[in-house]
Amino acid sequence: MEYDVVVVGSGPAGSVTARFASEAGAKVLVIERRQEIGVPVLCGEGISRKIDEWNMLEGTRWIAGRMDGAHIYSPDRTCVTLSAEKAGNETGYVIYRDIFDQELARLAIKAGAKFMMNTQATSLIKDKGKIKGINAKHFDEEFEIEADVVVGADGVESKVGQWAGIDTLLKPKDLETCCQYTLANVDCKDAYCDFYLGREIAPGGYVWVFPKGKDIANVGIGLLASLSEAGLAKKLLDKFIEKDSRLKNAEPLRFLAGAVPVANPVETVRDNLILIGDAARHVDPITGGGLTHCLEGGKIAGETIGKAVEEQNFSKEFLSAYEEGWKKAFGQKIKRNYLVKEIMLDMDDKTFNMIAHSLKDIKFDEISTYGLVKEVAKKHPTLMVKLLPLLKYRKKFKELKGE
Amino acid sequence: MVKPKAKVDRKKCLACGGCISVCPQDALSMCGGKAYVTASKCISCAICIKTCPVGAIDEGRDAENGI
Repeated sequence: MEYDVVVVGSGPAGSVTARFASEAGAKVLVIERRQEIGVPVLCGEGISRKIDEWNMLEGTRWIAGRMDGAHIYSPDRTCVTLSAEKAGNETGYVIYRDIFDQELARLAIKAGAKFMMNTQATSLIKDKGKIKGINAKHFDEEFEIEADVVVGADGVESKVGQWAGIDTLLKPKDLETCCQYTLANVDCKDAYCDFYLGREIAPGGYVWVFPKGKDIANVGIGLLASLSEAGLAKKLLDKFIEKDSRLKNAEPLRFLAGAVPVANPVETVRDNLILIGDAARHVDPITGGGLTHCLEGGKIAGETIGKAVEEQNFSKEFLSAYEEGWKKAFGQKIKRNYLVKEIMLDMDDKTFNMIAHSLKDIKFDEISTYGLVKEVAKKHPTLMVKLLPLLKYRKKFKELKGE
Repeated sequence: MVKPKAKVDRKKCLACGGCISVCPQDALSMCGGKAYVTASKCISCAICIKTCPVGAIDEGRDAENGI
């Protein structure tokens, strides 16, 4: 089998890369180890409305509900509210991730990409150190897929990156271990997504309640693996649900587990190789959100690969346009929020309560972690010292964006 | 005495991949849609056991390692 590009993994990052590479004229194959795209769902299913501007999805079938804003609850349940700029202007969506992923794959297929299910990458094909494609397995059948570019879109446990010699091992302090129920018979008062913080609630993470339309909600938890014990995520989530008046009469439609990298990104480009999405650690270390990065990064990767195929240049140097692109788009944000994550880990519940008290009357008109951090620095000069490195990043970030 | 190695309960495993990404020995991989421990690589550090959100990994007896 011969292709210009082989993409390992058919999540959003893989499909978007495949789509834009195909649109640019490349011959693309996507392989997926599972039997159905987007299944099982491993996601909280919240996404920013930023995606509207990108026009990467058609229709509304993938939307479960609109999100009007967010409530962040400190350990003593003091609430900080973030809402859309204007009333009626949603800040994002809660989506059906399976339909969302299939829609992105459909558009990649429409652009000309080929897809193979039940196909697992087993190793890279290398010739004198040069990557020439991947060895794959479809049930008991083993075969070679030759390609000029291998795209590792194989998630948090990425093997493609590891095979290429990139250190993809995550420290437990850089991984959120998660689980989530989709519950029915939830009393969803409004279309706000709720976040609950606290050492007793979710050490090094948070509990979320995302209304999914009607009386359905995704209720999940993420803990830092370094603060976790065997099965603790599920135990704490069950405890939270039992105690919450809105949730205690709810029943589950679905239960799932997930793992989210909350780390600094890894090297994403080598000769004939690109890493993307969770495999590249393209996740906001504070929120654990990564979908928008998959879409933004996937487009940049696909376009870069398109040009590489046109010029028949697959060197690290040429493919670096992708790395420069994502760094400009969201790399500084990830770096900055990684530092905020480290600072937040040192804070105790008392500090979170104090901060929430001082912010509870402020009207934040957008869901932005930077807006919150800036306000904290203003209100609490003592925390300012710890936040200083961030301001440095903000300055660099502004310079990059030409502000 | 040899320390017991990690063992995945395939019925409990929800295939989130967290254990694979934190294993410092590359002893875990996805096999047949579930996490799988290659016993010869496992150094009994228990990082995977602590990481598992649903408690699907435990210390197993040597003879029972793997599937």
